[in-house]
Amino acid sequence: MNSSVISYKKPLLETPFHERTSEHCYSNDWYRWAGYKVAKEFSSTELEYTSMRNTAGVIDITPMHKYEIKGEDAKKFINKLITKDISNIQSNQVAYGIWCNEDGMVIDDGTIFCFDKNHFRIFCAERNLNWFSDTATGFNVTVEDISPTIAALAFQGPLSCKILNLLKVENIENLKPFHFDHYNLENHNVTISRTGFSGDLGYEIWCDPSQAIDVWDSLFKFNKDYKVLAAGMNALEMVRIEAGFIQPNADFMSAEQALRPNRMRNPYELGLGWLVNLDKDYFTGKTALTKIKLKPPEKKLVGLDIEGDKPAVGSVLYDKEKKEIGIVTAAMWSPTLKSNIAIGYVNNDFMKVGSTVFAEIYHPEELEYKKIWANCKVVKKQFFNPQRRYSIPAEI
Amino acid sequence: MKNYDVIIIGGGHNGLVASSYLSKKGKKVLVIEKNENVGGLAEYANSLNCVSPIIKKELNINVANISNTNHIISLEDNQNHTVLEDNSGKLSFIKTNADEEDQQNFLSIINNYKLFSKTLGSFMYQKPPRVKSGKRSDLLQLISMGWKIRKLGKKNMRELLRIIGLNIADDLEDNLNNNNLMGLLSHEAILGTNLGPRSPGSILTLLYKQAINDNIFNLKKIEVGDYINQLEDCCNKNSVEIIKSSEVKKILTQNNSVTGIQLNNGENLESSCVVSNADPKTTYLNLLGAEILDTDFIRRTKNFRNKGNVAKLELVLENEIAINNIDKNMYGKFIYAPSIKYIEHAFNKNKYNHFSENPCLEFYVNQNTLSANVYYVPYLINSSHQENEIIKRCISVLNKFIPDMKIAKEKLITPNQMEEKYNINGGHWHHGDLEIDQLLMMRPFYGSAQYSTPINGLYLCSAGTHPGGGLTGINGLNAAKKVIEDMK
Repeated sequence: MNSSVISYKKPLLETPFHERTSEHCYSNDWYRWAGYKVAKEFSSTELEYTSMRNTAGVIDITPMHKYEIKGEDAKKFINKLITKDISNIQSNQVAYGIWCNEDGMVIDDGTIFCFDKNHFRIFCAERNLNWFSDTATGFNVTVEDISPTIAALAFQGPLSCKILNLLKVENIENLKPFHFDHYNLENHNVTISRTGFSGDLGYEIWCDPSQAIDVWDSLFKFNKDYKVLAAGMNALEMVRIEAGFIQPNADFMSAEQALRPNRMRNPYELGLGWLVNLDKDYFTGKTALTKIKLKPPEKKLVGLDIEGDKPAVGSVLYDKEKKEIGIVTAAMWSPTLKSNIAIGYVNNDFMKVGSTVFAEIYHPEELEYKKIWANCKVVKKQFFNPQRRYSIPAEI
Repeated sequence: MKNYDVIIIGGGHNGLVASSYLSKKGKKVLVIEKNENVGGLAEYANSLNCVSPIIKKELNINVANISNTNHIISLEDNQNHTVLEDNSGKLSFIKTNADEEDQQNFLSIINNYKLFSKTLGSFMYQKPPRVKSGKRSDLLQLISMGWKIRKLGKKNMRELLRIIGLNIADDLEDNLNNNNLMGLLSHEAILGTNLGPRSPGSILTLLYKQAINDNIFNLKKIEVGDYINQLEDCCNKNSVEIIKSSEVKKILTQNNSVTGIQLNNGENLESSCVVSNADPKTTYLNLLGAEILDTDFIRRTKNFRNKGNVAKLELVLENEIAINNIDKNMYGKFIYAPSIKYIEHAFNKNKYNHFSENPCLEFYVNQNTLSANVYYVPYLINSSHQENEIIKRCISVLNKFIPDMKIAKEKLITPNQMEEKYNINGGHWHHGDLEIDQLLMMRPFYGSAQYSTPINGLYLCSAGTHPGGGLTGINGLNAAKKVIEDMK
């Protein structure tokens, strides 16, 4: 694995898909992710987004951090790490969880794959080896960073199952959401999970780096009939906002990285209270979260339905007396929903669905800003949530 | 299953002090001691006289001074030793090769340090304040600490704040020329803590130790065995139950609260309050178990600096010991740390877990026996000491001053052996370095200070808490007070 050696001559690493992604990447515009370069945009963000919402899009998510947890205390370790109770997790199941520090402030979120009760894998966006290793103190487990040994693709969109089916991936339609299994894809043994960041039907394909190019090519095999596009990070950002997924260091500061203590956020403020199980015997942050839960949160991350069509990127939110009551962390015009949506923090008085707040939008128009005072309605974060995301068997 | 009001883990002197106080308040107390005798590491510390006067008075303990020396001898290779006399706190030179100016400067540095350590000493007997509690008492205490520093006067306050983070070598080199004198004071600053003369904060360590011992060279000795016996008697009088030769395996908890302890033989003892006299790392990582503590807390526990580096060497010679160029009546505390450079070189080896060819020594001589503290003998995790080599190197240093040594008996206790015998993680005299971030309200670390722990009903009373090691008994006293306060 030469590519995993960090050198100054080659500052950003290339993923095992680079041979292909660089061919597709007309704009040659790269995004820096965990020391790797991945495409921001291949040719047109809108087209890539449209493929994910209408056919299927392929995203290189290899830079994702992957940690292998092995040992007889593996399950106990995970249960100390995350706020949710996974005592009943079965093999081939995936759990979504968050982990907090001792003050109950969220560090990161991730998906946890259960291979068996002594073997788990955690996938997350930020580096967490240090935190995991320290959490492992006193447990009979090993924590290993296996990031460079697995190549990963997100294959998201309404036709993703159909295409995998055409590729003769046996029984893929019966894979339940938040489950994974080992499959044969064009004579390669790969792991496929029904997970993703698009809020739609979709899969993530995990394979050995040596199979990467073949796996990539196979997904485009039926492009004559079903136009599958390689999608970049910008398109991914669009679908994740529609799905209401939050991202560390974008919608909240990871507690391990925030320098100012008041910038850290607890799960209740992020609307992730449903992931906290205070009845569980023990987990890091339990004492703090028990106290935090007694008081209503001061602010909360909510969805916003904004009037007009100008995205409220970076806007400050006000009440009708023009008092500052929050801030937008992510915003876009949603082509699928035909509405102007955003995710942002609002104060205690406005966190109920249906509340009205105002956004001050600065919209650039040919070297001048157009200042818009827009009415916003507080809604649920999950803007886009089609039934096919959950259906079993999946639509072919 | 037996039930107690309070169970104390470890019958070291702090454990005995705590149990005496608790039992005097009518609590049913049990002490579990691993060894055959109580007292723990106290037997090792035979040159300390710093038992708090409050404890002596309140527990009615009379410990006699057995001090028979008031001389400090700083040895030098060329046999031009420096001899200092301590007349109840007043120092004077008997013999030295330092010039008049150096002698004056040396004494004035010591006077300065004495003044500052008095200021520090006034914080010593109190429970350190909690910084952000919002309680009036904590706030008042913080203000009083600030006021005591301000009371030094403008010039002295500025000087204290200048030197408090400084390394001792810098301050000495600014004021002195004589290598031997600089080595002597550096020795006092760094002995028993994992610092070199050029490590930041070594002055604070000196001031702090001086505040604990009430003396910079701590020459006065007490009969430690007698002190421990009296403490044990005091416990017995107040019907404290003491189980010896029994080891605690686990502290039992439920829902973040203590429920009792489990002994090595499998027996469970119930109590809603456990006071641990074991060092913080042993308490949290071994007895309690990391799996029920927050990850940040585990990080701080693991980062607590507690690497011991002093070994004890006991030598018995065939004939009476005679030191070159020193009169018999001037015998006292011998120190071989001839210069800052010499100590720093020994410290450099220690950083990489090696024992220097040229160790530093502090020793006392009695007829034909010699008892020495040798440093830096690093606490080793993955390897073991070559004890013969350590003894050989010490003897070759001693040979410079004691010709014709015929050794009848030799015994070395390394930090690793100390760890094993007294159950002290790291084999550190004070259970952890006395440095600015591990003192007062930060001792042993954030989340565990003020004798309490994240677990309800579990308390610490060991040297790992404020005010640190050194046979003061304050740790036990303050912990007992805290327990009583919380039980109300």
